Amino acid sequence: MTEAGHHPEVERAGLVANERVAEGVGLAVFDAPRTASAIRPGQFVHLRIAEGAEFILRRPFSVYRAPAGRLEILYQVVGRGTRALAQATPGAVMDLIGPLGHGWLVPEGTAHALVVAGGLGAAPMGMLVEELARRGVATTLAQGAPSEGRLLARELFEATCRRTEVATDDGSAGLCGFVTELTDGLIAADRPDIVYVCGPEPMQRIVAAQAAAAGVPCQVSLERLMACGVGACLSCVVSTVSGRKRACVDGPVFDAAEVVWDPCEDPEAGA
Amino acid sequence: MSAAVDMRVRIGALELRNPVMTASGTFGSGREYADFIDLSRLGAVVTKGVSLEPWAGNDSPRIAETPSGMLNSIGLQNPGAEAFCAGDLAWLATQDVPVIVNLVGHSVEEYRSVAERLDTEPDIAAFELNISCPNVDAGGMAFGTSCPAAAEVVRAVRAATSKTLIVKLSPNVTDIAEIARAVEAEGADAVSLINTLLGMVIDTRTFKPALARGVGGLSGPAVRPVAVRMVWQVAHAVGVPVIGMGGVMCTNDAAEFMLAGATGVAVGTANFVDPAATVSIADGLERFCVDRGLGSVGDLVGAAWPERSA
Ligand SMILES: Cc1cc2nc3c(=O)[nH]c(=O)nc-3n(C[C@H](O)[C@H](O)[C@H](O)COP(=O)(O)OP(=O)(O)OC[C@H]3O[C@@H](n4cnc5c(N)ncnc54)[C@H](O)[C@@H]3O)c2cc1C
Ligand SMILES: Cc1cc2nc3c(=O)[nH]c(=O)nc-3n(C[C@H](O)[C@H](O)[C@H](O)COP(=O)(O)O)c2cc1C
Ligand code: FES
Repeated sequence: MTEAGHHPEVERAGLVANERVAEGVGLAVFDAPRTASAIRPGQFVHLRIAEGAEFILRRPFSVYRAPAGRLEILYQVVGRGTRALAQATPGAVMDLIGPLGHGWLVPEGTAHALVVAGGLGAAPMGMLVEELARRGVATTLAQGAPSEGRLLARELFEATCRRTEVATDDGSAGLCGFVTELTDGLIAADRPDIVYVCGPEPMQRIVAAQAAAAGVPCQVSLERLMACGVGACLSCVVSTVSGRKRACVDGPVFDAAEVVWDPCEDPEAGA
Repeated sequence: MSAAVDMRVRIGALELRNPVMTASGTFGSGREYADFIDLSRLGAVVTKGVSLEPWAGNDSPRIAETPSGMLNSIGLQNPGAEAFCAGDLAWLATQDVPVIVNLVGHSVEEYRSVAERLDTEPDIAAFELNISCPNVDAGGMAFGTSCPAAAEVVRAVRAATSKTLIVKLSPNVTDIAEIARAVEAEGADAVSLINTLLGMVIDTRTFKPALARGVGGLSGPAVRPVAVRMVWQVAHAVGVPVIGMGGVMCTNDAAEFMLAGATGVAVGTANFVDPAATVSIADGLERFCVDRGLGSVGDLVGAAWPERSA
């Protein structure tokens, strides 16, 4: 069960649009009214992209937005599943399990939030920035990508956040460098009530350390390989200070202070 | 549905309402799937492996997708017998379904003590002794790959429990029938097979094995022909019931195992694809029998054997 109390179900989802939004990145829009009305920011769906010998497992995807009975998924083409998704055309039907996982929590009284998105880490931030805007939370966004053309979800972020800062590896937009060079200053200067992070794990770890040093609570969304997606198989464990937890049901969003980032520091490693 | 088919099957002292159960480690405690299916429609729920003390399992990554299958190296992560009883078992006891607990240990003594500890739990219908996990260094598969070792651990556990004892066999052996005979001789009430086949995937981008542990167990449709062959051989070799598994994805696959000689079937990897796979297969088997005019699902057991069609 999710924090919102909705049980996951299998839903047949019809693809209504599927467009390339950046190099190697697509936006798939599914008609999935049940999941769309139940899903909360930071939760995910387990999508059966195709059948056959090459596709034994489903693929987990965050939900970027869920307007009007539809689910929007922002995906990067990295392998055979996402390649098949990129080739799917409107009218295709895929089944998905959702809503799954434990999403972003917005504590009562949050006035100012810092949202940090690296690359595809923008995907689970769509519903979050909408929720923060709805609640009147002043949100600063720090976003990183290889180049300007790979900065995702710009329009939504510009429309919902009070302030946006970007960093690109090649300097084609904003700071030339890593997003972590922005976040250090933003956390120190703005003293947000909370920091939300998604992106490559090394980046999440650095931002989590910056937030911890400043005494600011921080939530991270972690990716693990997943078989069942519902908590049954223990494929997806994350090392935490209170033992190994399942990213699919206890996460994917975790309190950064709970995460044991370094495998060498996991008391249970190599057991 | 027309004329009722008798779907009951007997495994040791247990009568199951149908032959379909869950494969250990793929179904959690069942609670995780209760959102998708009515557990009371299953023959039995087989839990993940339970050890006396908590086990942390292996490091990540723990899975890799392979052609028509997957590798796993979970390593029997579990919270230990006490936490299992207070949590998963207490919940399962509220469900109308027989509970079969998969037992694991690093040594004969650990297997014996976990059986002894759980023997007093009235909500456990049977044990499945896992002497075939390829994902732990000590114990596990080591006990399932030699006749004397298999016999020794079954003897110790048999002495510790009067519950129905199923012994789960490893396919990573030269002659699985001889192991099956050895455990039957020590008092196993049934055998289940197959556990996963030892395998490996290497990532050609990183030049490293895909799994943190290096090796893992292969499951899914890729292993089905091997599993069907082994069920056929074992069912010919022993007198006790055989529970068949390995790549059962649909009704026909389940029927195939029964035709090879299995009395029950377990569904594992298929749950990840379709969380309702078990119930669909149970319903499908009933229809399969109706369509063929069979009065009892038991009529399928070993029906492919040449000596039966004479
Ligand atoms: C909770 C969660 C949310 C995610 N949200 C998004 C999202 O919004 N957008 C997006 O583009 N990607 C997202 N991912 C990653 C996405 O699941 C993988 O990129 C995708 O599964 C790759 O599939 P493939 O067949 O193209 O790749 P392949 O490498 O061919 O896949 C082989 C196997 O590895 C698994 N796999 C490979 N990479 C990953 C990965 N990074 N994480 C998890 N499993 C992986 C696949 O599911 C499959 O089982 C998310 C992952 C998780 C765990
Ligand atoms: C993720 C995973 C975890 C498993 N854990 C266990 C376990 O704890 N004990 C056990 O006896 N078998 C375990 N198995 C093996 C299965 O019960 C089953 O024997 C095997 O997967 C073949 O069936 P399948 O192809 O239907 O999955 C596990 C399999 C998988 C895929
Ligand atoms: S993916 Fe199976 S427990 Fe998380």
